[in-house]
Amino acid sequence: MKDKSDVLQGTLDMLVLRALQLEAMHGWGITERIGQWSEQVLQLGQGSLYPALYRMERQGFIRSEWRVTDNNRRARYYSMTASGRRYLHDSLAQWRRVSRAINLVLEVTTAN
Amino acid sequence: MGLDDRLSEEIRFHIEQQTEKNLQAGMSPEEARRQALIQFGGVQQTRERTRDEFRGAYLENLARDVRHGLRSLRRHPGFTAMAVLSLAIGIAANAVIFGIANAVLFRPSPVVDPATLVNIYESEADQGLNPLSYPNIEDLRRGTTTTFRGIVASAVAAGRVQYGGTAGAVIGEAVTGGAFGLLGVEPYLGRAIETRDDVARGGHPVVMLSHAYWQRAFGGDPQVIGRTVRLSGRDYSIIGVAPASYRGGLPAITPSFYVPMSMFDEVMGAEALDRRGFHSFFVRARLAPGVTFAQADHAASLVAADLTRTRPDGWTPGQRFSLVPSTDVQILPGVDGLIRAAVWLLVAVVGLVLLLACTNLASFLVARALDRSQEVAVRRALGATRGALARQMLVESALLGLGGSVVGLLLALALLKAVLALDLPLPYGMRLDLHLGLSQATLFDWRVLSLIVGAGLVSGLLLGLFPALRGTRAELGPSLAAGTRGNSGQGLKWRNALVVAQISMSLLLLVGAGLFLRSWQQMLAVDPGFGRAPTSVLAVMMPVSRAAPDSSPRMRRLLERLRKEPGVEAVGLVWPLPLELSSSSTRFTIDGRALPQGQEAFRAQRAWVDGEFFDAAGMTVVAGRTFNDDDRRGNQPVAVVSQAMARRYWPDGDAVGHVLRRPSPGEADLVVVGVVSDIKVRSLGEAPRDVVYEHYLQGDRLPAITYVARTTTDAARMTQTLLAAGREVDPDLRVMQATTMAEHLAMSRLPSQIGAVLIGVFSVLGLALAAVGVYGMVRYTVAMRTREVGIRMALGADAAGVARQLATHGVRLVLVGGAIGAVASLLAARFLATLLFGVGSFDPVALTGAPLVLGLAAWLAAYLPARRASRANPLAALRAE
Repeated sequence: MKDKSDVLQGTLDMLVLRALQLEAMHGWGITERIGQWSEQVLQLGQGSLYPALYRMERQGFIRSEWRVTDNNRRARYYSMTASGRRYLHDSLAQWRRVSRAINLVLEVTTAN
Repeated sequence: MGLDDRLSEEIRFHIEQQTEKNLQAGMSPEEARRQALIQFGGVQQTRERTRDEFRGAYLENLARDVRHGLRSLRRHPGFTAMAVLSLAIGIAANAVIFGIANAVLFRPSPVVDPATLVNIYESEADQGLNPLSYPNIEDLRRGTTTTFRGIVASAVAAGRVQYGGTAGAVIGEAVTGGAFGLLGVEPYLGRAIETRDDVARGGHPVVMLSHAYWQRAFGGDPQVIGRTVRLSGRDYSIIGVAPASYRGGLPAITPSFYVPMSMFDEVMGAEALDRRGFHSFFVRARLAPGVTFAQADHAASLVAADLTRTRPDGWTPGQRFSLVPSTDVQILPGVDGLIRAAVWLLVAVVGLVLLLACTNLASFLVARALDRSQEVAVRRALGATRGALARQMLVESALLGLGGSVVGLLLALALLKAVLALDLPLPYGMRLDLHLGLSQATLFDWRVLSLIVGAGLVSGLLLGLFPALRGTRAELGPSLAAGTRGNSGQGLKWRNALVVAQISMSLLLLVGAGLFLRSWQQMLAVDPGFGRAPTSVLAVMMPVSRAAPDSSPRMRRLLERLRKEPGVEAVGLVWPLPLELSSSSTRFTIDGRALPQGQEAFRAQRAWVDGEFFDAAGMTVVAGRTFNDDDRRGNQPVAVVSQAMARRYWPDGDAVGHVLRRPSPGEADLVVVGVVSDIKVRSLGEAPRDVVYEHYLQGDRLPAITYVARTTTDAARMTQTLLAAGREVDPDLRVMQATTMAEHLAMSRLPSQIGAVLIGVFSVLGLALAAVGVYGMVRYTVAMRTREVGIRMALGADAAGVARQLATHGVRLVLVGGAIGAVASLLAARFLATLLFGVGSFDPVALTGAPLVLGLAAWLAAYLPARRASRANPLAALRAE
């Protein structure tokens, strides 16, 4: 198994929203946060992060604004909207159902 | 800040942060930046993908929805075809009617500043608005030089055009020089007819072609300017081509060419410009700057008062000029009201057809949304948002709508082609394409196209909106749990309402059609009082010139020539022919008979005839005699009067021998010598009229004459014989109409025939649409009850009973719809009264016939699918679940 893995298809939105759940962050911050949380297993490809951010902004799950960072740099900060919160909630519920189901199947088959 | 700038800054920031991190990890500055770039991946690629995500997404989603919609529609070909075809029929009907109305009535005019133009007519008491005579126009022009910037006269100039090897009778317009300049119409090619082209009588053989005629007869050749065409035996040089948008100054007719007014007499072979009694000139005038309509009206009334004093020969007291703002005139003020009523009726009818089509579409869409409730529930469970699903359904119904537009346009083209190919008995052999400017291009006008596309798109979107919103609201649980096509209550209620609406609209259409068919039937049953036997009709003008100013010897020669023709039983001549567009009237007093208060004379219709006309037309002599050879110029002028007139003025039956005294100086007193049977003179619907017949050799010279020949052989063939004989007597003969009496009478029935046929066709279309609606609804109910039917059949229910029960639901809807429709028809029929002939709005035949037809169609539409279901194999029905 590779020690660094690409984000599983379709879960990117969930991860990004999860990262934004606590506070507004800029793009680089989101990559760093997910890297830390996943103990550096999940490395967000920038090639997919920014398209996803822009898309979710259009879909109304997140919004963005220019802010100044601690060391006085201008950066685009993303924060979650109410609709994004709902979406994350739904997605998580679904994810738990699906992953539980997958686990069940896998455990049954490994047991054999 | 643009999207690209924002993105660049974000990416730059991202890479800088990473570089900084790498520096802290101990890399060299160069290495740190290199690694950061590598880690980020292709910057340009990211930029493009992000941009696409943000911007292209809408289009991309739309494209995906369209693809999905097309696929889904393809999967249900029956549904799709029905929906598209329903809508297409509705759209086609509207496109054709609107297209024709748009081209004929609301044709756009390139005339500059139409608000300062007025149309001028002559009017008198109850005689309606008539065109002017040329001398009256000249008097009006002289008396209003400060009121009008200019006055333009237009008249029909029919001539024989020879160009290259071709020759043919063509309808043109004689127009005052400078008209184009005054109206602000720029020639398309060359120059327009100017004031200098219209100075001396017969002195300006120049011609301007209409755009359509230039295209049709000259192949649109730009080199045509400066060439000559032969027109009525004289060479005319072509000076210009009018723009395509200008259709001349004549009512309804689109002329093929324009000649200066000073050439009118020569082109027509008439001497009309000097005759005060020749009312054939349509007048438009441009108000001088600052002059109001009211001031112009007053100035014209002063001229009229002056004419009453100075021209007692050609201007009767009470006659006046009537001004109408040009923008208020569609064809002629006298008929505009009726035409507008007819157009509105047709618009209402085709509107109903479209509405019926829309209800069908709506009903289909609701059914489809019901069918899909399960699919929708599954997809929402899988995470599709409601918006996305609704959008997809909307795109699908919009696609159906657009499909309806496209197929509708094709249908409309075919329909219009069929209409243009109809051999309608129009006056003067007019043709819809040549003289009314109709063609398939009529539909390719932006207004018509917007109607076609708009109707499809709007109905698709509007009708799709409700199912899209409702259908996607479906709760996950019940739908999935129901497993079958559940969740039906609401949707079914809607479909039922739609079917009821359809039935009532369809009944409304059918009652309308019934009334118009009855009206036509009544019209056919009217006895015009003449022309019942096979009869040929030849309307001609025998050209007059300075060398031969009187055409009556030629008229007589042709009459005598025709009398000898084998197969001719009786031949006579008449002007104007009864039930023709032209008419003539005369004023008279009778000794010892008091005039009504405020009037100076009685008035009656008048026709000039010869003695044999009555026999040729199949009229009977009631008293006295008709004309004979002694009745000619120089002898005592005599008259034959209609029976109605004899009864009115001489109720004791002693009309013969009385004298009609005529106040107009040009008209001699007449001695009544005979009484003939009544005929219809101006319309089939009229009550018997007072008619004075004068001998054609005892009155003024006639502008035209119509030969009427009763024959033992085929009337159409005899017309050709008449034509050949006419050409022999006068090689320069101008033929205005060569037809049969049957055709001529058909012409006067044409409006009610067109009304009956059009409304009949549209109501049949409406009925078909309603039947499809009922059929679809019953089939759908049946499909939902397949299991129930299966069980009942398995338990031994008989097929007929099941079918009846399944159909009952449909029949009940039909009854409710029928009741509503009946009330609506009774209300609507009242508005039709002005357009109907001889039929009350409560015509029992129409009011019982229409529901019967509708009932039968609806019963079939309901019963057929029900019966099919009841024939189904019970096992198969059960297994289907």
